[in-house]
Amino acid sequence: MLHGYGGYILRVDLETGHIRREKTDPKYMMNVIGGRGLNSTRLYDELRRDVDPLSPENMLLIGVGPLTGTLLPASAYTTISGKSPMTGILGDSAAGGFFGAELKQAGYDQVIITGKRDTPCYLLITNDNVEIRDASHLWGRDIWETTTALRKDLGDNAVQIAAIGPAGENLVKFATVACNNSRMFGRTGMGCLFGAKNLKAIAVRGKRRLTVADTLTYAKLCEKLETDIRHHPEYAQRHAMGSTLLMKALNGIGILPTRHFQEGVCDYVDDISGETLAKKYKVKNKSCFNCNIHCSRYFITPTHEGEGPEYETLCSYTSRLGNSDLEFALRMSTYLNRMGLDSLSSGETIGWAMECVQRGLITKEDLDGIDFTWGNTQTIEQILEMITHRRGIGDAFAEGTRSLARRFGKGTETYAFHVKGLDMICGDPRGIKAFGLCYAIASRGGDHLRAEPFFELTERYDEAEKRWGIREIADRLAVKGKAVLVEHTERQALLSDCLTMCKNIGLSMDLMNIDFASRLLTAGTGLRFTPERVDDALKGVIERDRLLNIDFGIKPEQDTLPERFRTEPLKEGASKGHTVPVEEMVREYYKLKGWDERGVPPAQSGKHA
Amino acid sequence: MIVVDAAVCSGCSRCEVACSFFHSGKVGRAGARIKVVKMEEIGIDYPVVCQHCIERYCLKCPENAIEIGALGQVIISPTLCTACGLCEALCPIGAIELFEEIPYVCDLCGGDPRCVKACTLNAIRYEPETTQAVALKPFKRKSRNRSPEEKRVQFALAASEPIRETWLSKRRA
Repeated sequence: MLHGYGGYILRVDLETGHIRREKTDPKYMMNVIGGRGLNSTRLYDELRRDVDPLSPENMLLIGVGPLTGTLLPASAYTTISGKSPMTGILGDSAAGGFFGAELKQAGYDQVIITGKRDTPCYLLITNDNVEIRDASHLWGRDIWETTTALRKDLGDNAVQIAAIGPAGENLVKFATVACNNSRMFGRTGMGCLFGAKNLKAIAVRGKRRLTVADTLTYAKLCEKLETDIRHHPEYAQRHAMGSTLLMKALNGIGILPTRHFQEGVCDYVDDISGETLAKKYKVKNKSCFNCNIHCSRYFITPTHEGEGPEYETLCSYTSRLGNSDLEFALRMSTYLNRMGLDSLSSGETIGWAMECVQRGLITKEDLDGIDFTWGNTQTIEQILEMITHRRGIGDAFAEGTRSLARRFGKGTETYAFHVKGLDMICGDPRGIKAFGLCYAIASRGGDHLRAEPFFELTERYDEAEKRWGIREIADRLAVKGKAVLVEHTERQALLSDCLTMCKNIGLSMDLMNIDFASRLLTAGTGLRFTPERVDDALKGVIERDRLLNIDFGIKPEQDTLPERFRTEPLKEGASKGHTVPVEEMVREYYKLKGWDERGVPPAQSGKHA
Repeated sequence: MIVVDAAVCSGCSRCEVACSFFHSGKVGRAGARIKVVKMEEIGIDYPVVCQHCIERYCLKCPENAIEIGALGQVIISPTLCTACGLCEALCPIGAIELFEEIPYVCDLCGGDPRCVKACTLNAIRYEPETTQAVALKPFKRKSRNRSPEEKRVQFALAASEPIRETWLSKRRA
């Protein structure tokens, strides 16, 4: 008997209505572990490479890790994957909450959705019973309304729902999927993929109990992780503010994106910080399934309430756009969550427009007469509404910054801060060199989570010496050794993603590694996941991701950063004078991977030359 | 009895996990004797568990399979129980629910409740001296013909009203 795993893979063809349940194959899982590794490999094995992301043939995959839904704390994530409508390459996005555990308890490790329904539908999964149901009455409703309505229709408040909002229905390229109202599968436009399939939501109720192979050993390992979390030096801060603690932390080291990365220091940071948010608006902590940090927060302002926001949303709608009004940012956070828009990508389109207007590259007249001056809250609100419904100039914005800048031309492409079509996150790489490399090589585009080399921020010099023999790795401004760090943490990050575990714990807090994971996996699943086996699986997934992206047309020239971060030194703050020498870092990274100078893995270098 | 302070509950469901795991070595909400009602739209998470109510509706068991233990906990005899489901139907707050033909209700883990240990927010406390303090009559009428989940939601909604009032007066005064 297969423990830990849900035990089944569910295949649903929305076009024919054909539903098939396959047994999870332990041999396959030993090579991919689960979650993102499983999804990526499924795409590699089964997806026709030249498929249009919005066509019925594109696959939509929902993967959950082998230990999610069990006793293991902080492993509540779910990964949604497919060919990204936003970037045209590998797309995936993960979110916490309660959806993943429920899907596992319903008995599934992965749901594979293909085809397109003629009319709006939702998928209802209750253990073995799977139905495609009509969702016409839900079309046009926002994510919160959809969740409430579905739970009411089904007469069961405990049903877990992943849904899209109007943005996904209108095929906004950076539309999100959400579970538990505010847990966003934010990046690479997985909500757009739902919309393209006329799939409004997936509702799951799992009434099984998950077993593990070696119960006592497993319980001890889980207890160890819990204790490590509880006694971690960052515990108190993370509990109080979650990721919003980064507002002041990144400002302190001069890398808080301000006015679209023109500055790394924001003089009104105290008005928009995680501390202020906690003090003025937080009413209690919120949490994902079975986590003992409870890092999320519920807030109430005079006009709005909701869960969150996380740092990326907070920064995207405050300093990055030159806005100092925290209450406004919280209101926008609830709007984005309801409509199903990615805060990073939507924020980047607006930041791009504001900088281009500042530089006189485009004018108010080009933008439907809307005044894109820094921090104009009325403009921000108006354009978000236009993006959601693809009205006027919002239609062009809804295609994402890369496409938007191509349309306007006139040098505006220089200010479109994306890598491979995915907009950059809120951390100026000029003061965190390993992150710079990570954005450049990340297999889904400009993203930190593919490697999250948080270690470089910790100043643990002796530990760096011990682990890699390079002290500089613990110095965020050093370049030396950063490729080594990223090559290492890229596997550690993937490990978290395969376990669908939280990367705050697995990576930033540095509490999960291959040895520990191998013990957990072995005790949990009963399969012999030796450390070597786990590491091989991770290396295999990274290589397949690269090959898949090469098939999708990625060129080594795209493993880079936007010009500003390579050539314009930061002007003030604790990272003053720094840029990212990304070319040399990428070259070293290829070498460490054993790839050729064009970034092609060896087995395939002949084929792709 | 188990005393709940939902004002500080994050909804993590560690109580459910610990309960299910302790009793069976398996994890699933269906196997938990404490169940968290999550209402995202109002920010309320409410762990619902047997309140050792004054009325003791479940004692109407037609098979006399239910008795009250020394700690005030509900004890169900596995040999006498016929899984008729009357206790589930009678409980006004959905604290008893059948799963695989067995009624699941809090047994206080023999005096050392695992949910309390699992809760790091102090939202669930064990107060051994407190027994039969809660009257559930106000919930009884509305609970007729409702599923256990619906009853839990109704109870959680009503019981969390003061929490919402406190929040709103603090943040919207």
